[in-house]
Amino acid sequence: MITELGIAVINGVFIGCVYALVALGIVLIYRASGVFNFAQAEFGTTGLFAAYAGVVLWGWPYWLSFLFGLAVAMAMGLATERLVINPLRHASRVTLLVGTAGVALAAIGIQFWKSNEQPIRQMPKIVNGIAAEPFGTAVTYQHLVTLGVLIVVAAALAVFFRSPSGLALQAAQQEGTAAELVGISVRRVSMMTWGIAAVLGGLAGILSGPNLTFTAGYLTFGAGAALLPGFMAAVLGGMRSMPGAVAGAMAVGVIEQLGSLSIFGYYTGGGAMMLFFFLLIVLLVRPQGLFVRKAVAT
Amino acid sequence: MTEPQTAEIPKTESEAESTRELPPVVADQLDDEVAPFRPGVAGWLARGAVWALLAWVVFAIPGNVLSPFHLGVSDVGHASKAAIFAIIGLSLNVLIGYAGTISLGHQAFVGVGGFVSAYVVVDMGLEFWLAVPIAAAVGGLQAALLGAVSLRLTGLYFALVTLAYGVFAEETLFGITAFTGGEGGKNVPRPIGFGDDYSFYYLCLAFLAVVLWADWRLVRTKGGRALQALRENPRVASSYGIDVKAYTLMAFVVSGIFAGIGGALLAQQSTFLVPETFDFELALLFVLMTVVGGLRNRVGVVIGSVIFALLEEGTLVHLLHIDGFLDSTIGLPAEFFGLVVGPFLLLLTLTLYPGGIGQQIAPISHWLRGRKFDLHAGKVTEVEVADVRA
Repeated sequence: MITELGIAVINGVFIGCVYALVALGIVLIYRASGVFNFAQAEFGTTGLFAAYAGVVLWGWPYWLSFLFGLAVAMAMGLATERLVINPLRHASRVTLLVGTAGVALAAIGIQFWKSNEQPIRQMPKIVNGIAAEPFGTAVTYQHLVTLGVLIVVAAALAVFFRSPSGLALQAAQQEGTAAELVGISVRRVSMMTWGIAAVLGGLAGILSGPNLTFTAGYLTFGAGAALLPGFMAAVLGGMRSMPGAVAGAMAVGVIEQLGSLSIFGYYTGGGAMMLFFFLLIVLLVRPQGLFVRKAVAT
Repeated sequence: MTEPQTAEIPKTESEAESTRELPPVVADQLDDEVAPFRPGVAGWLARGAVWALLAWVVFAIPGNVLSPFHLGVSDVGHASKAAIFAIIGLSLNVLIGYAGTISLGHQAFVGVGGFVSAYVVVDMGLEFWLAVPIAAAVGGLQAALLGAVSLRLTGLYFALVTLAYGVFAEETLFGITAFTGGEGGKNVPRPIGFGDDYSFYYLCLAFLAVVLWADWRLVRTKGGRALQALRENPRVASSYGIDVKAYTLMAFVVSGIFAGIGGALLAQQSTFLVPETFDFELALLFVLMTVVGGLRNRVGVVIGSVIFALLEEGTLVHLLHIDGFLDSTIGLPAEFFGLVVGPFLLLLTLTLYPGGIGQQIAPISHWLRGRKFDLHAGKVTEVEVADVRA
């Protein structure tokens, strides 16, 4: 039992790293545009497909393909902001949600089409091999790299939000009109936010891709589905807090893994069940989030 | 001159003060001008001809009656699927269009309806005619349970709960082998008398007609008017004494019932049901076809659903004979046409034609109902989906 719990916690934390990258992007975009971005995980899958094309199909070096994947994800994020979010900025939030879902579905459709000949693919790892085996579960170097990237990203975001452009971004998110009056371009800030969020999504995709084989829609509903856990993590952080989102992602990762304990052994989909009831309870008992003191979402 | 006035005033006052009988609300009062337009004989003939043509397309062609084409069994199967998708589209329209609440887990409702119907027919050995009401009831019941718990949340958070419910149903509920048959799926026999695809198509049409009628009646009841009010502004609605939560729950239950019927028919149509059919992608497709069809526009939703159902496996592309063209120019196989083009249709709908297909066909549908042909009929400026909290 202790071994099982240990395995669940370790696996949960490493999966939580991917969820955290997705959740950070969701929180950033929610703060900037007030929309639940259903395309967030698709930025990741699209970046993963681009990186895969670089490494495997075109034989580029890994670092170049990695950057190419991030660039493609970022381009997709910027295009989404320009073509969908900006024209719909006066529409209601549910309309915007349907719009981002449309972006996700368009990306999935193109991925299905383009990967038709070989639907299931395998992205090579950055570093092969297993670093340690606590409780008999394998911790790969890929997992450690993901954790390292998450720490670097979190630190970079913390520094960035204290820099002038980071402060401008926060100002524009809190009060757009007032920010415009003191000379901040809300339009540019919105673009910047979507760009950063898309890069975060791309990181999640390219780093988590090598863990499993991937298909079209890998991060949205495929084998490495991170969209729903990412949303849950963001909700646990009250949709606005970034440290809250990271903590929430770890919690969601561990709770999902608890669903695969042997006491649920007779049923499949224990993880999905745990997540559904956990989300329901959190939203009903503490709708403002677990890791924040006061409700800030309006 | 003064006498008739004094005689009039008490009468009107007493009429105004009497609350027992409210004057009937005349619908479409603004649309009728001083002298309403009446088409001439030629106009009626032209409209009648178009109606007859429509009826011929819907009723005669799939049954190979009085038609120069010969449709195979698989084509008629697609037609049945289109009718079922129309039922599902109407089900989502009740929720998104009338109540302004979005569900991203509608594939779960359809799937539960399908598996319940299959269970009733296969494992309990009951008749199909009993399975459909049971599936509808279970669909309504699960909507009532989920709604009672989670409708305290509104807007985006409710959408998130439905999304989580959809994934839960897909992975956990449909993973129960005793209920769904597991990975191997389940064989569902068709009802007696509707075994072949041609007669089954008419059965689906009949159910679609029933759902259309129920939807039409729903809008005209007290509940329908309450939904309209609370969608526009829930706070104002509740200050007028409308129980926002109760009526939203009602819409959710109605939507669940329609989805259950759609699921039961889908189980019979495919005759072989596997849990993998009901994934999140299907939920997105349902939302897509409803919004592209045009919220709150029954005809538009039906047309949108039919188009997406036919696009799904490339049937429409085959029928239009453009598959070779698409394959040679951009290398797009017909079966991916809907998946690739559909989302772009959605984005175009949201940004340019918020009224969807319903808005685009409004001039024709108004003309068919005996009005003047007006290119600018039915213009909608924005997809008005309520934005409650969050």
